[in-house]
Amino acid sequence: MELFKALNLFNQGKYEDCTTICTNLLKKNPLDQTVWVLKMRALTLQIYVDDIEGEEEGIAESLLDNYTISSMPRPGTSLKNPGTSFTGQYLRPKTQSGRPLTGVVRPATQSAMSQSIEQTLKTPRTAMTARPITASSSRSVRLGTASMLTEPGGPFIQLSRLNISKYASQSCIAKPLFEYIYYHEHDVRYALDLAVQATQVCQYKDWWWKVQLGKCYYSLGLIRDAEQQFKSALKDSKTIEVILRLVRVYVRLDQPLTALETCKKGLEYFSNDVNILTEMGRIFDSLNNMSMSLKYYKIIAQEDASHTEAIASIGIQHFYNDQPELALRYYRRLLQMGVYNAELFNNLGLCCFYAQQYDHVISCFERAISLSTDETMADIWYNISHIALTIGDITMAEECLKLAIVSDNRYALAYNNLGVIQIRNGNITAARTYFHAAANIANFLYEPHFNSAYLAYKVGDLQTSYIAVQKSLSTYPNHADSKTLLNKLERYFTYM
Amino acid sequence: MSQLMDNSAEKIDVILPRQILLYQEENLDYILCKPKLIPLKSVTLEKLEKMQKDAELKMREAVEYSNENNNE
Repeated sequence: MELFKALNLFNQGKYEDCTTICTNLLKKNPLDQTVWVLKMRALTLQIYVDDIEGEEEGIAESLLDNYTISSMPRPGTSLKNPGTSFTGQYLRPKTQSGRPLTGVVRPATQSAMSQSIEQTLKTPRTAMTARPITASSSRSVRLGTASMLTEPGGPFIQLSRLNISKYASQSCIAKPLFEYIYYHEHDVRYALDLAVQATQVCQYKDWWWKVQLGKCYYSLGLIRDAEQQFKSALKDSKTIEVILRLVRVYVRLDQPLTALETCKKGLEYFSNDVNILTEMGRIFDSLNNMSMSLKYYKIIAQEDASHTEAIASIGIQHFYNDQPELALRYYRRLLQMGVYNAELFNNLGLCCFYAQQYDHVISCFERAISLSTDETMADIWYNISHIALTIGDITMAEECLKLAIVSDNRYALAYNNLGVIQIRNGNITAARTYFHAAANIANFLYEPHFNSAYLAYKVGDLQTSYIAVQKSLSTYPNHADSKTLLNKLERYFTYM
Repeated sequence: MSQLMDNSAEKIDVILPRQILLYQEENLDYILCKPKLIPLKSVTLEKLEKMQKDAELKMREAVEYSNENNNE
């Protein structure tokens, strides 16, 4: 009866209650394997997350990457250095790690471009990037330790005392045991041990174990071994999960073209599958190929009309393409779908303002502020300062920018705009300091470089201006104003 | 923005006034950083953060509980 109740609770998704019943049952009869497996499953599902989506790259992986094939890849063939083969939207602001903003936060957007060690180390690991210093799965390790600490009477299974070879031969226990070790205990080494022995028992015929082996290799950083396992699993059975994992392997190896090829092959078997299409959209996005990325996101939106990532990505694309009224429609759709958070209200407020629907602007931003957390506060105040600037209230804009800096003192965009305001007020020294601060924090932005170049040019410090304008052109080669300034400077230098 | 310009294939006739002089002048000016839309959070990320918060809360409770027991 008790067991039936536990099973029922498990089916209803009430894993905590199920676990308590199982614990009581195990106290009575510690050798009952049914209850043991049930408790294992319940504990695993309690903290199960989609690990393909939740993956993130730590500093160790992005910095000490020894799989790089070429340090100077041809343009358009690398994610870390997309080059100028496609002109992205330079109007788009960048995140703190220097990537252009994307519609939603997703695995790869949080990683920095590891072009220089200095830049990677300088990128702060605050809430805005949320990147762990240590190697992969660090977040999951943290989750694992927390869940183990809260278990009264020590961990459920003592991994060091487990007779792995015994359980590897029992296939119906081995699989839940593996998932328990991998997802709940986060002990990849034991999981790998179990997977190796279990795949030997079934004579390398079970594709499921190959995938698990690949997962273990991937999180241990043995990317090439993972690739082999996934490929071999794909030969036995075509599944979307394995295709996605293989694509991730190629993204990690910085081979976007192979990744796209894999996606296309996958689409032959699973035509118009949303997950694979999303992956393609993301890869094109990080190659700065906005038009292709938009194309795929549109296909996704047709397949699945409530796909948050696709809608948000199309929205942000329209906004920075000077079509705020279209962006507004997409964000409004998200609101209809039930997304209710500070980020969305901030975006709605901005879209309303630039689409000249002034009546909603204030209420949107009020809601955004009331819902906001420490992560989004700086962004919201920064955006309000834009509205204040546009209606001509310079004092309010200054206050807002200062509030943004109070929430996040490495907010380069706010420093730059404060500098521009200071110039209007006639404080040249203060403005120069702000521009320098902005350029130091985020040298991937072109605005502060150009502004300090123009300021130096006005004052007559031509050499400084020349250096700064070259930095500006290196981050945004087609910036017209920078080119004009450079021409003027060159003309001066030839006179001399 | 750049895409829009590329697509505009239509040509507009140039109108030149006959009598007065026409000036065209472009002035450089300081530029502002653009407004920033905030990326939304995916369902997985929200779940992860929620789990992390819950875990922290549970740990704190456990620590407080053990502290109370030790004091008694």
